[in-house]
Amino acid sequence: MISQSVAERVLNAAGETGGDFAELYMENGCSSRVSMRGGVVENAAYSESCGAGVRVLKGTRQVYAYTAETSEEALIATARAAAAALDGVGEGREIAFAATAYGATAQIPTGSVKNDRRIALLRDGTNAAKAVSSEIVQVSAQIQDSHKDVFICNSNGVWATDKRPSARYYISVAASDGTEMQTGGEGPGRGMGFETFDQFDVAAISEAAARRAVTMLHAPECPAGAVPVVIDGGFGGVIFHEACGHSLEATAVSKGNSEFCGMLGKPIAAPCVTAIDDGTIPGAWGSIGCDDEGTPSARRVLIENGILCSYMMDLLGSRRMGLPVTGNSRRQDYSFAPTSRMTNTYIAAGSDDEEAMIRTMGDGLFAKAMGGGSVNPLTGEFNFSVSEGYWGEKRRDSHTGPRCHAGGQRLGDPDEDRPCRPRDVDGAGRLRIDVRQRPHQRRTAAHPRQSADGRR
Amino acid sequence: MTMQEFRLAAFKAAMALGCESAETFEVSGGDFEVTVLDGEIDTYASSRSFGVGLRVIVAGKNGYAYTERLDAPEDLVRHAMDNAAVIEDPDVIPMQGPQTYAAVQAPAQPLCDLSEREKIELALSMEAAAKAADPRVARTEYCGVTTSWAHTGIYNTYGLCAEESTKNGSTLCYVIAEQDGQPQSGGSYRGGVAAADPTALVREATEDAVSKFGAAPVPPGDYPVILRYDAAESLLGGFSGMFSADAAQKGLSLLADKEGTRIGSEAVTIIDDPLHPIDPTAFDAEGTPSVTKTVVERGVLKTLLHNLKTAKKAGVASTANASRSPASPVGISPTNFYLQPGTKTLDTLLTEMGDGLLITELKGLHAGLNPVSGSFSLLANGFEVKNGRIGRPVDQIAIAGTFLSLLSDVQDVACDLSYDHYGCGGIGAPSVRIGALKVAGAE
Repeated sequence: MISQSVAERVLNAAGETGGDFAELYMENGCSSRVSMRGGVVENAAYSESCGAGVRVLKGTRQVYAYTAETSEEALIATARAAAAALDGVGEGREIAFAATAYGATAQIPTGSVKNDRRIALLRDGTNAAKAVSSEIVQVSAQIQDSHKDVFICNSNGVWATDKRPSARYYISVAASDGTEMQTGGEGPGRGMGFETFDQFDVAAISEAAARRAVTMLHAPECPAGAVPVVIDGGFGGVIFHEACGHSLEATAVSKGNSEFCGMLGKPIAAPCVTAIDDGTIPGAWGSIGCDDEGTPSARRVLIENGILCSYMMDLLGSRRMGLPVTGNSRRQDYSFAPTSRMTNTYIAAGSDDEEAMIRTMGDGLFAKAMGGGSVNPLTGEFNFSVSEGYWGEKRRDSHTGPRCHAGGQRLGDPDEDRPCRPRDVDGAGRLRIDVRQRPHQRRTAAHPRQSADGRR
Repeated sequence: MTMQEFRLAAFKAAMALGCESAETFEVSGGDFEVTVLDGEIDTYASSRSFGVGLRVIVAGKNGYAYTERLDAPEDLVRHAMDNAAVIEDPDVIPMQGPQTYAAVQAPAQPLCDLSEREKIELALSMEAAAKAADPRVARTEYCGVTTSWAHTGIYNTYGLCAEESTKNGSTLCYVIAEQDGQPQSGGSYRGGVAAADPTALVREATEDAVSKFGAAPVPPGDYPVILRYDAAESLLGGFSGMFSADAAQKGLSLLADKEGTRIGSEAVTIIDDPLHPIDPTAFDAEGTPSVTKTVVERGVLKTLLHNLKTAKKAGVASTANASRSPASPVGISPTNFYLQPGTKTLDTLLTEMGDGLLITELKGLHAGLNPVSGSFSLLANGFEVKNGRIGRPVDQIAIAGTFLSLLSDVQDVACDLSYDHYGCGGIGAPSVRIGALKVAGAE
């Protein structure tokens, strides 16, 4: 942490060339990762990162510079590098900071955990997966737990700190009958310390992944075509996250690059769809105390009974669109300028019965488990993989499709009112969707949104 | 502390604390990016960063630790030693000794010599050219110039000293076009020498967008298909992990124990060439001198890609495919990994196919493709082909199959080899004609 006088000097240096807003973001973090393959510990790594980013805005022009070195000298040099992109004249001034401390305190901080605890969990998970079937040929498991302290101050007087612990268990299981191979995986995480693993039944999670691999090994091909689909609760919500949620982020909307531009107050989904973004759920993977611009985290209804109620706004999007910020600003790390992103996003539970939805679907697909997917926010065209699916009415005993794939446009038809909400979603009535799990994109220039997202 | 001071202190601490050896993987670099919108700078970023990855060997086991703070070398050594102490994997991971390296000639990167003002002007000229290229172009989605430099050094207590500096510069233009109220996006990019003259990429970007108007699915069925070079690159890149000896040794690749056997048609030859002039590097992430190799020769698998660990286990020499970032353990990656081009043009391939589909874009590669099972089901865009001529655009179809059956069904490859990394190395492929692929579309 730096002193307020240093922060003021850095922000004034950033504003030297006429920017109307200057911001300093700093982070300090550490992370441990242990991986086990086939029951033996294969890799163990520890990493610590720190760095700072300085942003200057002049209207809707944005300048960003970052540095891994965080001495006052380096911060001021970084601020001047950012300021150099503008050509006006600014005046240094006193800034009255209002300090607010946010964030969750980990009960078991990552730094206090010895590797043998991680290894014991990995061993339990691996054994449970192996025990599912003699067709299991490989089990890869990993635990990653980390902690990040972030600090944001700006020329408007924001002085915010947030503590962000996280812990995650990954398991990938391969099953083979000697000629074909299929995989099943799970990767649950929490925005908590190592006490996460008091909540997780690692053996049960691992068995589920193993059963999926074996199920898919014996699954016939899925018929191709346009068919009715029932998507299971829980991670099934990823289809909303990708196909609709990203198109409601200011990054896409403020530049006119979303099919939902100009749709506030209008129907964009079937009337049974209510969607919520909530960064305040204690311990959830996407929860934050404040966002990466220092705005407090919030719960916000995005779509209510099919009507679009809110976009997710960061500061730059707010300036472009004249709408207030919503606590949805996020950076992958200090090397990225902030952008707008979901926190924990879910479809609210409704009143319909999942079994009845499947029963009345006719010839169609029950998507029991979803893989990842992506969307072009401009056109709404999306694609998803279904990592475990069942055909028609005989689900759970007759399986469909290895690697069947869903594609299409739009979430639902506003003119139709089909029952499409399960009553009991994921036990708690929520679809937990993981905001930091945006699928990794290959480092290629062929994907424009890598850059538009602030990725590079 | 400088990086050199940190390294020497870490090595000294490691040896004093009982490590057999220690190695640092150091990266420092800088990035610049400017994008423009409506004739003004939209975003501008300029940065410097560094990181040090430490690897130690204790009782034959590797442990890793990474930092961006150069203040406590001994603490980092202790973290790495703690990690080495828990490793159970019996495989030996050797550390490379001192080597001599071929001198490589880095390709010209004219963008890196421009002033920041000149880079801004270049981006502005691209945007203006894109808007003037076609009346249907409404705006740019992303229009910018990026440059970067990086210095990589690998040093260890055996005396290894491998150092390399690289520069990159690229221009990118993605446009949004509108017709009858319907938007379409399209884009293109260039790196290296070609990046300095954006004329061709602006034309490609606008043609890419406007060519998609009126796109519709085709009925489901089996279709003869040509994967254009960019779609072929995507597919080859997505399945390149199958060629990793590490995946094979762990039972996670269908290519395990397949060296010397046929895995593709006679038309398939795949080269991995870290020394290729398009993006040459003298050594891999373990400091092994670069090796050019034929991975698949006329359909027969000749070798998998090895690092020191997998090579030792297999009793062969490393193919210099070790890869890592400073914060990650040593793994395996292809370098300049490409399907060898043929002599025919794409037009000739289209004529020879007659009727079928030309696929120009594959989407959802991170989700719809599984290198372990070798299967794929991917959302695709492209065009109908009738009598060898490109017809109406096609979208919202999925192509599905397995990578190995696709390789066996390659009928021909064109001469239009292209690379995915801004056209400057990485995964490369020419356009490829496939006998038949399963296509899911509209009923």
